[in-house]
Amino acid sequence: MKRFRAVSIGLHLFVSVWALFVLAPVLWMVMAGFRNRLELFKDPLGLPTGLNFDAFVRAWNTGIANFILNSVFVTVISVILIVVTSGIAAYVLARSESKALKLIYVLIVASFAVPSQSVLVPLYQIISGAGLLNSLFAIVLPYAAYGIPFTTVLFYAFFLEFPRELEEAARLDGCSRLQVITRIVLPLSGSAIASAAIFQAVFIWNEFLLALLLLTDTSIKTLPLGMLNLRGQFSSDWPAIMAGVTIVTAPMLILFILAQRYFVRSLAGLGK
Amino acid sequence: MSLKTSRNLRNAGLNGALLAPALTLVLVFVLLPAAITFVGSFFSFGITSSAWTWAGMGNYTRAFADPIFWVALKNNLIIIFGSILSQVGLGAIIAAILDRGIKRGTTAYRTIIFMPVVISSVAVSLIWMLIYDPNVGSLNALVKAIGLTPPKLGWLGDPSISIWMVLVTAAWANVGFQMVLILAGLQAIPRELYEAAALDGAKGLKAFWHITLPGIRNILIVGVLITTIGGLKVFDLIFVMTGGGPANATQVMGTYIYLQAFNLGNMGYANALSIILLLIALLMGVAQLKLSRRG
Repeated sequence: MKRFRAVSIGLHLFVSVWALFVLAPVLWMVMAGFRNRLELFKDPLGLPTGLNFDAFVRAWNTGIANFILNSVFVTVISVILIVVTSGIAAYVLARSESKALKLIYVLIVASFAVPSQSVLVPLYQIISGAGLLNSLFAIVLPYAAYGIPFTTVLFYAFFLEFPRELEEAARLDGCSRLQVITRIVLPLSGSAIASAAIFQAVFIWNEFLLALLLLTDTSIKTLPLGMLNLRGQFSSDWPAIMAGVTIVTAPMLILFILAQRYFVRSLAGLGK
Repeated sequence: MSLKTSRNLRNAGLNGALLAPALTLVLVFVLLPAAITFVGSFFSFGITSSAWTWAGMGNYTRAFADPIFWVALKNNLIIIFGSILSQVGLGAIIAAILDRGIKRGTTAYRTIIFMPVVISSVAVSLIWMLIYDPNVGSLNALVKAIGLTPPKLGWLGDPSISIWMVLVTAAWANVGFQMVLILAGLQAIPRELYEAAALDGAKGLKAFWHITLPGIRNILIVGVLITTIGGLKVFDLIFVMTGGGPANATQVMGTYIYLQAFNLGNMGYANALSIILLLIALLMGVAQLKLSRRG
């Protein structure tokens, strides 16, 4: 039993070291926000001496509230658009035997392989040509387009496994096609929808490249751009930068800790 | 027209209408731009000029003669293979330990290690820029505290190590994702298999080799695929932390395409680089799909 104990301690140690390595930068971020530039310069490893909120005020005044609103708007609209359009498409595709529709499915899967980096030039030209640069509505469309292939594949697999006998029984009981969907399929798809929505929400909330390309006006920038703004505005005023990053990151971390079961399940489902 | 064919036609129309929103978005914002990128890669044109001049294969031959293109490609490969080793490797080890190695504290460990996954990559970059900072960074202070000398040019300023420092940051951010993915696979392995193997005398590493690894083979391939695609598409960390510098030492395909297109105005050249990236992504995707089907 002694050997077993030593192994167990060793394993704990291994995981603890990585957990500490993960935790340290996060603590670092929060602590730097409470210190001032001189303290940080004199002793980079020191602890904050008190709860000094100056840096948080400076960071907040760069318009973080506005960036948050923009991000919430873009994320909510995009996720709804993705889940609704992909859900409908996947259901139709999964319930059809038609060859033409199978071809459409292949087309959607293939577009999953196109990295957004390889369409930057035409995407910029299409959006700017349509006069939609710097519009929050405009960025929702490419976000949706890049979320749809993956979500459709996910829902397609889900609907293929969905017990069709339930749907057929409901049809025999006199339900219309629409009623089958609203009364049978939707209520039983909650977990699949939540998984897809969480995954896309995390992705869009943090999306940087397309936002950088299509949103140049400060008033409509989303959070990732807003954080980059901090760096531009404060250059080496690290307490202010870290205070801003903390303001943005802390709510996400708290949300994650409260709802981590759903986050984890959402991402773990990808392996299937 | 018989009743049945008219119903089929009506159904086809309905199906078309239901598919239209998803299909239109994908066509207009993914597939059409990909086609335009391909066509545009045979022309040269600037960001504002509407005049396209035929360049033939010029943009492609230019890429193969461009040393920075090769640096960028090499860096993508470093990130891909480095991330597979560090992220999938560590993720698998930690997942295996949490699954069967230890009993107490697994939820706490999982929560902490997964945490960076929900942090925006720009935030991750900024946090690590502070850690690597030559004046106020904690890494310099730590290295000095144990009696070593930090690199003169700074962790991100020294071209011989900067890409590796980005790799460390990427591992910090993504090991948790791989851990959760693999952990889900591990937990799907029936416990009875281990019990039966234990009766036959297979325990510890032997059981790991004969039961655990085959059980998560497909999940590992998915993890490697996600890491490979992520490594090809890497942009945010590099753009924010180093901007591709110093002296292009950390340039990757994503940042180099962006630089050529939107800073230097070489849209045609950027298109050719984009198509090369797209082809590599397709090749790697197909190769790994084939690999996972064989199992």
